[in-house]
Amino acid sequence: MTTVGQLVFSGLLIGGIYALMSIGLTLIFGVLRIVNFAHGEFLMVAMYGAWAMTRYLGLNPYYSIVAIVPAMFLFGIVVHRLIVMPALDKPHLVVVFATMGLSILMQNVALMALSADLQDVPPILGGRSFTFGPFYAKPELLIGFAVAVACTLGLRFMLQATYLGKAIRATVQDGEAAQLMGVPVPRIFLITFAAGSALVGLSACIMTPLFSVFPTVGLNFVLIAFVIVVLGGMGSIEGALLGGICIGIVQSLSSYYIAPAFGQMFFFMLFLLVMIFRPAGLLGRKGEATLGIND
Amino acid sequence: MTALLEVRQLTRTFGALAAVAGVSFSVRQGELVGLIGPNGAGKSTLYNLIAGAIAPTSGEIVFKDRPVAGWKPYQAARAGVARTFQIPKPYRHLSVLENVALSAMLHDRTVAAACGSAQAILADVGLADYVDAPVGNLTVGLLKRLEVARALALRPSLVLFDEIMAGLTPSEVRGMTNLVAGLPARGITVIWVEHVLYAIMKTAPRIMVLHRGELIADAAPEVLVKDPAVIKAYLGEETSLA
Amino acid sequence: MDAAPLTSKRRTGRWRLLPERGTISLFELLLLAICLVLVAVPLPQYLQDVLIQTFLWAGLALAWNIAGGFAGLISFGHAAFFGIGAYTSSILAANYGLTPWIGLWIGGALAAAFGAVLTLVCARLRGPFFILSTLAAAEVVRIAALNWAALTGGAEGFSILPIASIANMVFESKTTYAALMLGYFLLIYAITKAVEGSRYGYYLFAARDDEEAASAAGVNPLLARTGAMCLSAFLAGIGGSLFAQYFLFLDPTHVISPELSFQFALLPALGGLGTAIGPVLGSFVITPLSELLRSYFGGAGAGLHLAIYGAVLVVVMLYFPSGIAGALQRLAERGRKGAP
Repeated sequence: MTTVGQLVFSGLLIGGIYALMSIGLTLIFGVLRIVNFAHGEFLMVAMYGAWAMTRYLGLNPYYSIVAIVPAMFLFGIVVHRLIVMPALDKPHLVVVFATMGLSILMQNVALMALSADLQDVPPILGGRSFTFGPFYAKPELLIGFAVAVACTLGLRFMLQATYLGKAIRATVQDGEAAQLMGVPVPRIFLITFAAGSALVGLSACIMTPLFSVFPTVGLNFVLIAFVIVVLGGMGSIEGALLGGICIGIVQSLSSYYIAPAFGQMFFFMLFLLVMIFRPAGLLGRKGEATLGIND
Repeated sequence: MTALLEVRQLTRTFGALAAVAGVSFSVRQGELVGLIGPNGAGKSTLYNLIAGAIAPTSGEIVFKDRPVAGWKPYQAARAGVARTFQIPKPYRHLSVLENVALSAMLHDRTVAAACGSAQAILADVGLADYVDAPVGNLTVGLLKRLEVARALALRPSLVLFDEIMAGLTPSEVRGMTNLVAGLPARGITVIWVEHVLYAIMKTAPRIMVLHRGELIADAAPEVLVKDPAVIKAYLGEETSLA
Repeated sequence: MDAAPLTSKRRTGRWRLLPERGTISLFELLLLAICLVLVAVPLPQYLQDVLIQTFLWAGLALAWNIAGGFAGLISFGHAAFFGIGAYTSSILAANYGLTPWIGLWIGGALAAAFGAVLTLVCARLRGPFFILSTLAAAEVVRIAALNWAALTGGAEGFSILPIASIANMVFESKTTYAALMLGYFLLIYAITKAVEGSRYGYYLFAARDDEEAASAAGVNPLLARTGAMCLSAFLAGIGGSLFAQYFLFLDPTHVISPELSFQFALLPALGGLGTAIGPVLGSFVITPLSELLRSYFGGAGAGLHLAIYGAVLVVVMLYFPSGIAGALQRLAERGRKGAP
């Protein structure tokens, strides 16, 4: 088996998981047209939740999904009511700074309440790698990727086939018109934000077996999430999956062939290149760089 | 006599739609020309092309004997073309005075001088009482007058007015009409898009009619009202009389 | 969000009480007097440290404000300019013996060049796209600095020789440093006030508030914005050099970090974006407060001051979006309504 093939495969899997983490962000941007700068801290909180449930209740993170996802949904409702809603009718930098303030607050409350040490969850599924065709991979990676794809498909189905989905798409295309047509746009905003938060909860449960959690872990991942969201096209769910996979592969290859630290640098440069040449992203609508929206 | 502005076979397409299709006309220095047409006729696109906000797909624009098609808006302003926006675009964090002074700064190199010029112009358009008001408090009618003031503060050779009468009371319409009618005497050539037809028909000696991107008539008002093409274009149209 | 707009009733020749565009107010003069006194009066060392940092951050916040507040270019990557300035002057001093008094201008110029390139490259980007691009660009600079160890010392950091002399720009007395930082802050304040009341400043405000309308009024928005970012980056770079001379140690993780970049943006946001006095108030309130909280709660409450900081930011942005300066302005207006 060639190294390149294995690297690409691993990159693909981890990319899917990165994508899962980013879908919430892109959905929120697509509908509410805001960037939630506290996205990383939502992930951090949920990861701590999953870790705590393993540590104190013996539940493995995959089972904790049942508790974490609804909890994050509620958390999203609270944050939306308290912070996002009052900021929506003000200049956009208000919501930027407000979510940034929330991010700093959450990071430091975590620092104060918990130790700065890295916390890990012990291997769940035996700790050995699976063979998947000609490649090998940790089972947690495979499961994570599967969940990411299932989530993307599920969301796409929901958006096309259900009333809620159509209401969301209508709001994305033209909030005013949607409201005039009877779509309860403020409630759509709330549901979308809370759903984005719940999706972060889901990805946290998937990621806890693979990454250590510490109070500032959000910062690492939020930058990756931003890059993925922009690369894929702000507001596009399939774009997030595609973008995540690209990032995963780029990081995997450059970490091996150049240096792990440079892996990060490369995808920032990729981000900047996308911004220069195709600001709407891979699956975004051309010319939508001012306020990217996508169906 | 050479024209101030000449437009030849000007075309702008958006995908399959030709918003402006092969429009040709010329405007001489000192003219007051009306531009009317039903909604969607392409008037805003034409203005955007002349003022540099968008580039043409094909055709020429010649201003003061210079070919300028595809120029940038700030180049147009500096060359002497001013325009108003149909939906007023004031600078929200500046006062009414500062909004107009900004335009005056094109020629007045100090802020103080620009404010002085701005005050005079604001008095001209009847906004003297609102000089210190924050822009957020103004009604649409007042904002339209602000648009006019900002355009005039550029000391243009050519001004493109875009529906400046909407939202004005009949007496305000009269005031504004007198202002516009007096501009050619001040050396300012005017092209005037308007839906308030009675104002423009009475004042402009020459009116162009745009319909579906094409120039279907270009004549004096008395001739236009008998033109069958013009009547057909407007048939069934609810024309606004303010 | 701006200083009180120019009005036709502006009384020339008479002092204004509160800061206003285009003129110096009594408030500003009082603040200047207080600053001079604080530098001249003998203070305990740790208070002098607070003073030095407060003045430095006032200058840095003002520098950010030229791009972020005046031109509307909200950047979460200013630490890159800071770092470029800091490392440039320090490397030139260490490797070529160039005095930092000259090196800091070179550092500033390099930072300005980087800022120009960034703005031109991101010319079509607005809102969150632009913000994220600045974040990404700063991360690229940080990682480059981290890995180019031969030049920058990498993760181990870069030490500046602590040999006190004027030529080295290293001083024994904290009072001298305080004076240096005060000078930096006052210089940038003067530049800010000058820009604010100038034609160029107005062009920036117009391009920020409505780019299309400004363009139709003869403003070249891209050129105006690029100029603002260059100036902002230049001044931030100089601040970085001064910081290097004071702190005597640089490392990319702390000097070119996202946290530092956020600080650049938060101080003006809290103090009042787009005004001259806003960033100053932001620094004068927040910097001593953070030091106070940090020393009071120390290691046990590591992060308490930042947590409070974050909470305050949320509250201020939602309920006082014009910041401290805006609140002052509204108080003044209420006072004015009482008197003719």
